[in-house]
Amino acid sequence: MVNTNTNLSSILAVDIGSSTTRALLFDIVNTKYRFIAEGSAPSTAGSPFFDIAECVWHAIEDLQDKTGRMMISDAEGLIIPSTMDNNGVDAMVATISAGKPIRVVTVGLLQDVSISAANQLASTINAQVVEEISLNDRRQDEDRINLLLKTRPDLIIISGGTNGGASKSILNLIEVVGLAGYLTKDDQKTHILYVGNEELQEDVKDDLGKISNLHIAPNIQPSLNQKQMYPAQKELAEIFKMIRRKQIGGMSEVLTWTDGNMTATATAFSRMIRFLSKKYEPDKGVLGIDIGSRNTTIAASFEGEETLRVFPNLGIGAGCQRILEHVQVSDITRWLPLKIPSSFVRDYVNNKSIYPDSLPATQEELAIEHAVAREILRTTVKNILPEIPEEYQKGSLLPSVEPIIGSGSVITQAPNRAQSLLMLLDGLQPAGVTTIALDQNGLLPSLGIISDINPLLTVQVIETSTFLNLGTVIAPYGNARLGTPILRMRISRQDGERTTRDIKYGTLSVLPTNIGEQVTLHLRPLHGFDIGMGGPGKAGKVSAVGGSLGIIIDARGRPLRFSNDPEKNRKRAKDWITSLEKFV
Amino acid sequence: MLAPTKHILPRTNIRRERILPQLGRVVARRMQKVVPADVVAEANLEPEHIMIDLTQGLNVSAAKAKDLLQRQAGDVLSKGDVIAGPVGLFQRVVRAPADCEVKIAAEGKVLLEKDTPSYQLLAGMKGTVTNIIPERGVIIETVGALIQGVWGNGKIAHGVMQRLSKDLEGEVQANQVDISFRGAIAIGGYCKDPEFFSAAASIPIKGLILGSMSSTLIPAASSVEYPIIIIDGFGQKPMNTLASRLLITNEEKEISLNAQEYNRTTGKHPEAIISLPSPDNFDAPKDTDQFSVGKRVYVDSGPYATRIGTIEVIPLKAFTFTSGIQAQAAEIALDGNERAWVPLKNLEIIET
Repeated sequence: MVNTNTNLSSILAVDIGSSTTRALLFDIVNTKYRFIAEGSAPSTAGSPFFDIAECVWHAIEDLQDKTGRMMISDAEGLIIPSTMDNNGVDAMVATISAGKPIRVVTVGLLQDVSISAANQLASTINAQVVEEISLNDRRQDEDRINLLLKTRPDLIIISGGTNGGASKSILNLIEVVGLAGYLTKDDQKTHILYVGNEELQEDVKDDLGKISNLHIAPNIQPSLNQKQMYPAQKELAEIFKMIRRKQIGGMSEVLTWTDGNMTATATAFSRMIRFLSKKYEPDKGVLGIDIGSRNTTIAASFEGEETLRVFPNLGIGAGCQRILEHVQVSDITRWLPLKIPSSFVRDYVNNKSIYPDSLPATQEELAIEHAVAREILRTTVKNILPEIPEEYQKGSLLPSVEPIIGSGSVITQAPNRAQSLLMLLDGLQPAGVTTIALDQNGLLPSLGIISDINPLLTVQVIETSTFLNLGTVIAPYGNARLGTPILRMRISRQDGERTTRDIKYGTLSVLPTNIGEQVTLHLRPLHGFDIGMGGPGKAGKVSAVGGSLGIIIDARGRPLRFSNDPEKNRKRAKDWITSLEKFV
Repeated sequence: MLAPTKHILPRTNIRRERILPQLGRVVARRMQKVVPADVVAEANLEPEHIMIDLTQGLNVSAAKAKDLLQRQAGDVLSKGDVIAGPVGLFQRVVRAPADCEVKIAAEGKVLLEKDTPSYQLLAGMKGTVTNIIPERGVIIETVGALIQGVWGNGKIAHGVMQRLSKDLEGEVQANQVDISFRGAIAIGGYCKDPEFFSAAASIPIKGLILGSMSSTLIPAASSVEYPIIIIDGFGQKPMNTLASRLLITNEEKEISLNAQEYNRTTGKHPEAIISLPSPDNFDAPKDTDQFSVGKRVYVDSGPYATRIGTIEVIPLKAFTFTSGIQAQAAEIALDGNERAWVPLKNLEIIET
């Protein structure tokens, strides 16, 4: 049970990444909570420090230098609570994404059912499923024991059997896990999470309680047509913390400083997306994506039901090389507005994994990183679509979400906003009407964990400067010849001005507005195109708010199609960015 | 600002922990002189188990099988030793199918652990074992030249160094490796032709150090039997001048190659070590430093990648690069009378 406390006026949030650690200060300004400032330092989870307390300290020192506010003292360490002379803070929280993926073995009855669900559960943390053991894998029990001993997982997730369903088969598998546990040395006891048939929980405790660090959570598939991931996800997040405590030096200190208010960055990010989905339009979902140096996290929430997936070792730094396991180099080069040889692109991607902190100094290097980011977005979205609740799915298209929030420095720190927007548009390819925003200061995970102890702070900070609204996007989808008018827009501005525009298929254009300007758009799709107003050809009215780039009409079609001629693709990529950059 | 360091050192104290992935047996002795291929510790990383159902083997009930069991957990058996029985007219018995140890014997079943070959941990460098970490591994030390790389194919070897070309700048060609390289550690500029690896394997050479190679060659380089270390990265870059000079100076000396995988988290690099006799003690190289004016640096990325230079200026204000990226940067006087602005994030400090 978490106690919420709105008396905490100042909160220090630390986000420990694989590359950078940031310290964020929140406090009350003119009766409202605000984000005040950020300090940062290179992360020290790995060599030569192997101690995250070091980078947390350095990041707080940087924050002190920037704000002039003393938060640590040599004598007392972290100054909690804040003092009358405005030094110190009232609480500290932390999120962590540093560390190698946790090695997981999933055990279940059937590959397509319980293993698939257990894998989905594992994907909500920074984990790598290294082996799967199921009844239909045709292995002998001794082979399963050997496999468990050889892989030495950090965690075994056992699922299978609906409540009141199969029991004998799952108990047989549990016996195998128990034998492997018996053969494991005491100091190497594995964490086991049981999320199967709830009627077997007592048997599971008897068989596995003494030979492992056993955790039990509600069944993730209580009945044939039902999945319930969230309770198990919460338990898994706690296990993740325990494993990290053993793996990463300095975790215990940070847990003490935060009074235990520390969680995985992805968990906190997802919590915030769920929070937003309850706050914004309940008939649409909210989508958030964070491209980190080593990992990428994507979270979607529909009426509070969340779908979270962490892609370990897939990122724009240390995880850059992994994109080549998902896509071809030609998939990356097709986005480039410049002529760059494929061999250079491949070498750049591999070098980026070796030197993950390096920055793109030239236009060519920046173009490659942005192209890689597009493919990371495409890969993650493609993988998460089947996990989104069925009633919200739209085939291969992104479901209706409002807003889409992009996070991660490759997106938020791009040299201009047009580049940020185009990366998200190209990578995610939203269909219909939505808003695209940036988590420009990377606050979402911190606000997610703060919402546990001070939800008012979270609400007030997101109402201020957390998100940069890039613009409302209108993306009709359907099939037509290039140049065919596919959408008629009647634009009514607040000053009474009314104009009409016909939008042609294949174009990307901007309707200029002032930031925050409210515009009423009457949208009439033509030639059977769909704008998400209830079906092909259905017209409707939307009230759009102008973002930093205005209102964007993306009539390039879904999915985006490419030419076999690289020169044509290059020209088109250049035209797209030029058409947006005019409005930066 | 905290800065990473690159180790290309002509003479330093090198101290390496060689640790088993799990508990095992240390076979090296304290003060033992070792070469890279010497085994220093071993462990059974992949124990193989056999489950025997005595009720089936003896054709009896579980209760009866318990009475007929002759062994208990912990017993070490040789192949053919009787585990349970005899029973019945034909005096049926169950025997150990291999040399093994009984791990569990209960409820009519026995679980045996086969005596499988051990994983052997190699020294990975020439030096002296200065410390034993019981059941885990050893610490090996030497004084010598150290050249760390960024990619390795996981193999270990040592041999005499031999140059493929006069400088280490150009592409290495398959026809450059002839019989004179037999048993040698070859050093060269960059490689973009997989044929080179097979030509080198046919000689055979003992190891290879390159400045860079095309990343398309990663699968080919991973599959050869000899160690390959890439010093600077992927592409067609000449070897950085500091490393090439150091290697050329020590040509025809013995060099140890530990082409272990580069791991930023653990700090392990593939590395080449040239043990040098020295009466003096040297400090161990630093793993981090601070950027400041006058420091020698290595450019790891961007248009000046692999170049060496000296920091001239580090302004407080961010510098805008042609990409549009704004970042803290330094003006570097590159060796060869050129100046360049480089993001601090693209620099590593070189100890001199």
